Amino acid sequence: MDPALDRGEGLSSKRFWDWFIFPGGIWIALLFAIPLFLVLALSFGHVDDFGRGVYGFSMDNYKDVFDSTYVPVLVRSVGYALATVILCLLVGYPVAYFIARFGGKYRYVLLAALVIPFFVNYLVRTYAWVALLADQGLVNNLLVDWGLTQEPIQMINTPFAVIGGLVYGYIIFMILPLYGSIERMDPSVVEAGKDLYGSPLQTFLHVTLPATQAGILAGCVLVFLPAVGDFVSAQLLGGPDTYMVGNLIQDQFFAASNWPFGSALTVVMMLFLAVWMVFYLRRASKGEAEVL
Amino acid sequence: MAEEAIRIESVTKRFGDFVAVDDVDISIAQGEFFSLLGPSGCGKTTTLRMLAGFEVPTEGRILLEGDPVENVPPHRRNVNMVFQSYALFEHLDVENNIAFGLKRKKVAKDEIKSRVTEALELVDLSAKSGARPNELSGGQRQRVALARALVNRPRVLLLDEPLGALDLKLRRQMQIELKEIQREVGITFVYVTHDQEEALSMSDRIAVMSDGRVAQCGPPEEIYEHPTEEFVAGFIGISNLLQGRVESGNRVRIGDDCLEVPDLGDGHGEGETVQIAVRPEKVAVDEVGGEPYRVEPDMFTVEGEIESKVYLGVGNQLTLKLGDGSRLVALEQATYRMKADEQWEVGQRVTIGWHPEHCMILS
Repeated sequence: MDPALDRGEGLSSKRFWDWFIFPGGIWIALLFAIPLFLVLALSFGHVDDFGRGVYGFSMDNYKDVFDSTYVPVLVRSVGYALATVILCLLVGYPVAYFIARFGGKYRYVLLAALVIPFFVNYLVRTYAWVALLADQGLVNNLLVDWGLTQEPIQMINTPFAVIGGLVYGYIIFMILPLYGSIERMDPSVVEAGKDLYGSPLQTFLHVTLPATQAGILAGCVLVFLPAVGDFVSAQLLGGPDTYMVGNLIQDQFFAASNWPFGSALTVVMMLFLAVWMVFYLRRASKGEAEVL
Repeated sequence: MAEEAIRIESVTKRFGDFVAVDDVDISIAQGEFFSLLGPSGCGKTTTLRMLAGFEVPTEGRILLEGDPVENVPPHRRNVNMVFQSYALFEHLDVENNIAFGLKRKKVAKDEIKSRVTEALELVDLSAKSGARPNELSGGQRQRVALARALVNRPRVLLLDEPLGALDLKLRRQMQIELKEIQREVGITFVYVTHDQEEALSMSDRIAVMSDGRVAQCGPPEEIYEHPTEEFVAGFIGISNLLQGRVESGNRVRIGDDCLEVPDLGDGHGEGETVQIAVRPEKVAVDEVGGEPYRVEPDMFTVEGEIESKVYLGVGNQLTLKLGDGSRLVALEQATYRMKADEQWEVGQRVTIGWHPEHCMILS
C-alpha cells in the first residue's frame, strides 16, 4: 500500500478517537470547571441584606481570611494535618514494611484487610470513634469498670481525638504508596548496606529510607492534602477549640450563610494546597516520587 | 598451601525441609581465586551468603583466618560482597557509593577521600565519580559495585555471579579485568558462577557443586581433564558417556571392543560396569576406507556413521551413531591442515578413534 495513504488512514482514525474526549470533557466543564469559576467569582463579592451572595470586585473577603479571628484556624489546620502526616508515617511505615518484606503469600490478604474498612464511608467510620471515645463510650466505660479511673477521661473534643480521627481516616493513603516503594526496593540493597558495615539502624537510615523516599513523599502529600481540608473529624470528634478550616468553610455555606467569605476561604486553601501539589508533581515527573 | 583464608567445616544449611547445603567442607587459601560452580539450586549462592553472614549455618563452622564467624553479623565481618544485581545505592553518586563502607567504619575523611580516588582509578572510573548509578552503563555499574567492595580492603571478596547481567563481549572483557584486579590487590576472591567457561578461565581452584554438596574440588585442569563423577563430566563442557565392563586389569570392554585404560582407579572389580567419558575434542573421525588422516595407530577405534553435523565456524560438531545405537559427539577443530574440499555427509560411514589416556573413568 502507498505509504502516504497509509499515513492518511492512520490520521483519520486518530481523529476519530479524538472525539472521545468530548463526553468526559463536557462532564468536567459542567460539573467541575464552571462551579470552580463561580466560587472564584463569588469570593470577590459580598452578602446583600437578605444574606444572599452577590458578585462584586472587592478584596474584603480575602482580608477577612487573614483576620486575627481566622488565622489561628488556618494555623491549627496545618498543624493538625502535619501531626496527622507524622503519625501516619510512624504507624504506616512499619506496617507497610512488614507486609512488603515479610508478608509472603499473605501480603495481598493483609493489604485487603487494611483496605476493606475504607470501603465504609468516612463519616460512618468517624462516628464509630465517637462511640469509642465519648464520656460514656466504650473506652471510658471499660476504664471505669476496671477501676483504672474514677471519672471518665475527657477524650472527645480534644485535639488528640481530632488528630486520631484524621490518622484513622487517611492512613491508608500513607500505607499504600509506602508498600509500593518498599516492595519494589531490591532487598539486596539492604544487604549491601549491612555488608558495608552498616548496623541495622544505620542501614535503615542510610539505605532503606532513601531507597523508599518516593513512597514517603507520595504518602505524606496524599495524607496532607485531604487532612488540611477535612471537616468531618473535627466536627464529630472535636469542639469549638479544635475547629479546622474545613469546618469554617462549611459554616459559611450552611450556618452563617456567608457564601462569598466561604468562597474566599476555599480559594485561599486551594492555592495553598496547589503549591504542595505542584511540588509533588514536579518530583513525580522527575521520577523521584511515586505516582498513584 | 599458603595460609588459610577461609575454612568451611561440615557446614549444612536447611530451609525447613529443604537442604540447601549438605555437609560441605572447603578450605580456601590466602590470595586464591576460588570459584563455586554449579547449576542454579546447587547451594553455591547459599554457601556464599553464609560466608557474607546473610545466612547462619544450621550445622558446622565457618572460620575466617582461623576465627569462627558463623554467628557474626554481616556488618561486623571483614568480608565484602559484589551482588548479582550490584545493589548500588541509587540516591548516592558513585563517589559516595564507594565511600559508604568507609564512612560506616568511621575512617578519617582524608583517608576516605584518598582511598576512594584510588579505588576509582583501579576500576577506571575516575571520570564518573559524580554520576548517579542510573546514569551508568551495566559495565560501569559493575565496576562501581566492585570498587565499593574493594575499597574496604576486605580479607575476602565475595562475588555472586557478578558478570551475569552483562552481554557476552563485555563479560569476556570483565573476566580478564577482574582477574587482573585480583592479582593487583592480592585479595582472596570467592566467586559464584554457573558459567563453566568463566570458572575455568579465571579460577585457581573450582568447587563444583550439585544438590548442596561439593562434587569435586580442584584446579581447572583437574576438573576438566579428570572429573571424578558423571555430574562433573557433564556439567563442565560436553562429555560422551559410554558404558563399559571391567574385564581384567585395566582392560574395559565397550561393546565388542576392548580398551586398555591407563588408570582404572581403585575399587573396580572384574565384571563391574563403569562409566567412561570422552571429551568431544579428543575424538578423531576419519572416512572409512580412506587413508588414516586424524585417527592415529595407537588409538582405540570403533566404527559408526554420521548422524548430524553442526557447522560452528571454527569447526564442526558431529553427532556419531555407533553400532550398538549409542551416540558420541565429536568436535572437529578447523585447522590449517584441513583439506579445502573436505565435507562430511550425514550418513557417511566413519572410523572413530581416541587415545585411551583420554578416557575418564567416572565413579
